[in-house]
Amino acid sequence: MSTTRRWATALLAAAAMTTASACVEVRDGSDGEGATNPDGPLTIAVAPKAVGHEFWTTVQAGAECAAQLAGDVTVEWDGVAAETDVEGQVNLIQNFVTTQVDGIVYAATDSAALAPATQAALDAGIPVAMIDSGTDPQPDEVPLYATDNRAGAVEAANLLADALGEGEHDVALIEFQPGSQTNTERVEGFTEGLASHANLTLVGQQPSHSDVNEARRVTEDLLTANPDLDGIFAANEPSVLGAVQAIEAAGRTGQITVIGWDASPDEIQGLRDGQIAALVVQNPFNMGYLGVANMVEHLREGTPMEPADTGVTFLTPENLDTEEAQAVLEPGCDNPPVDR
Amino acid sequence: MTGPSPSLDAAAAPEGLGARLRERFAHAAAESTAAAALLVLFVVLSFASPHFLTADNLFNIGSQTAVIAIIAAAQTLVIITKGIDLSVGSVAALSGVIAAITVRDLGFDVWTATAVAIAVGAAAGALNGLLVAAARLPPFIATLGTMSVGRGLVFIATGAVGVYSLPESFQLIGNGEIAGIPFAILVTALVAVATGAMLSRTRFGQHVYAMGSNLEAARRAGIPVRRNLLQVYVLAGALVGLGGMIAASRVNSGQPNYGIGLELDVIAAAVIGGASLFGGQGRIAGTLIGAFLIALVRNGSVLLGIDIHFQQVIVGLIIWVAVYFDQYRRRRIEARG
Repeated sequence: MSTTRRWATALLAAAAMTTASACVEVRDGSDGEGATNPDGPLTIAVAPKAVGHEFWTTVQAGAECAAQLAGDVTVEWDGVAAETDVEGQVNLIQNFVTTQVDGIVYAATDSAALAPATQAALDAGIPVAMIDSGTDPQPDEVPLYATDNRAGAVEAANLLADALGEGEHDVALIEFQPGSQTNTERVEGFTEGLASHANLTLVGQQPSHSDVNEARRVTEDLLTANPDLDGIFAANEPSVLGAVQAIEAAGRTGQITVIGWDASPDEIQGLRDGQIAALVVQNPFNMGYLGVANMVEHLREGTPMEPADTGVTFLTPENLDTEEAQAVLEPGCDNPPVDR
Repeated sequence: MTGPSPSLDAAAAPEGLGARLRERFAHAAAESTAAAALLVLFVVLSFASPHFLTADNLFNIGSQTAVIAIIAAAQTLVIITKGIDLSVGSVAALSGVIAAITVRDLGFDVWTATAVAIAVGAAAGALNGLLVAAARLPPFIATLGTMSVGRGLVFIATGAVGVYSLPESFQLIGNGEIAGIPFAILVTALVAVATGAMLSRTRFGQHVYAMGSNLEAARRAGIPVRRNLLQVYVLAGALVGLGGMIAASRVNSGQPNYGIGLELDVIAAAVIGGASLFGGQGRIAGTLIGAFLIALVRNGSVLLGIDIHFQQVIVGLIIWVAVYFDQYRRRRIEARG
């Protein structure tokens, strides 16, 4: 950590020498947060796990909405290309510290590997808020704004049981990134939920590594290996899309009940077309929104940041067109799906 | 079901025939190792899983392998010239998303979109080729840059969001069938035959091998090495574009994160199939065998319920063993000669 701070100091010193105008104040970790001028403009760095998915783009919209409503706040959006690039994200957070942003809001690609990065930011006097996925350990002053994945996945198992009804049924699980916190919570929640439905048997579990093509491949193979399969729970957007494609290609649409997670346009279309029975939908807009809104309040008024569950919505073909569902599906800053 | 024994004999047969055709035999050495492994795995899976040897499953494997096989063929062309193409994953993603965008926003049909994808791939290949042949960058560096630029362009073109809501017709090339045979398999076969014939039957193919063995000697022999290198990269890029289109078509969407790490899969397929990273060696048939070997490991793991993480260990072991036998047999052949 001290190396990072030395580098930061060295860079700042260099900056001071070249500009030779402003009085550059090197922040000391010991005097903690609140070093920023509370009335001045704020720059808040917001980092997703990876850029390139609908989900994270919605987080970005929520973050920018909160910044816009707060006024005089700039969101610096930056992220690695792949969720698996843990080291890249560690470097990214270090760069945020080096450039002395006012606050960092991010989703950890790996709960253990990013813990030192969070701590380094705190040591440099930069407050941190986590969204979607936290670190382990998570310092007390760092809040987490996230979905209760476990509870959502338990409910996914219940939805699957309801949709399949009486009798014995074989079901399979398409997980996405074994080893990631979010994945583990959804897998555990789903298996926990299955335990209360004795008529459902989990016959296969395969990861998609968040790649639609891979999800399609493993689903095709699961369908081949288990001709009596009745239901699938696919635990994120690429997994759902790949599973639906595989079922469609095998000509078994309607015979296999799919419970999905997330709500990309093609997933919604799948719900309308009867390829998907229900979707567990998080509120990524709210994650970005709460992360930035609470960070701004903390920086300007010193309010401690409290963690919060950002909530899930269960979408079915029946409730798809209700106002509540639409606010979550098409979030905008005019009518944000958040409690303000 | 046909018995395993005749084919196993066939795989072992080249041992006795190789005396006169040493050069060709050296190429066949790694191939026959990989082919034997492929055959053994095929037989084992046929007995181990009742679902393996079904038309549906075999067509599935063929379609699943199509993209990797086509892009691995492209990689093989580059590897024979003593090059490497790290940009294949990014370029495949770029071709796929741009094809998807032309369909969604410009209303192109699937065939025009396929042509666009191939053109995007060829353009990226031309860039690689110019960086290697004209700017004289090492292929590793040139394509490392293209890998990064390509992925960046994918995100810029898509705004980092998947390209969805495509018409069903977009799936034709990835999911369509002709006379019950998946279109993707037919395209793969066509690509394999055409590139294989180009390498083994044309003067251009001979030049490519010669350049990979010794670039300076090839130059002195009057082979237009720069023009040939550029052509190899353009051709490889076009194939990568075609592969990217098939991948996008299979999932009916343009995925900005498609193909991260794909370069490693295709390099593995080529190397298992006998291509040498030192240049001058490699055949499309071998690469196809390598691609299918990796695909069978993956398919078999799911069918038999083997933990996903073992798949990667198995693929790694296959790389070691195949290349070890390849080199061992080459040394023996050279010692005999």
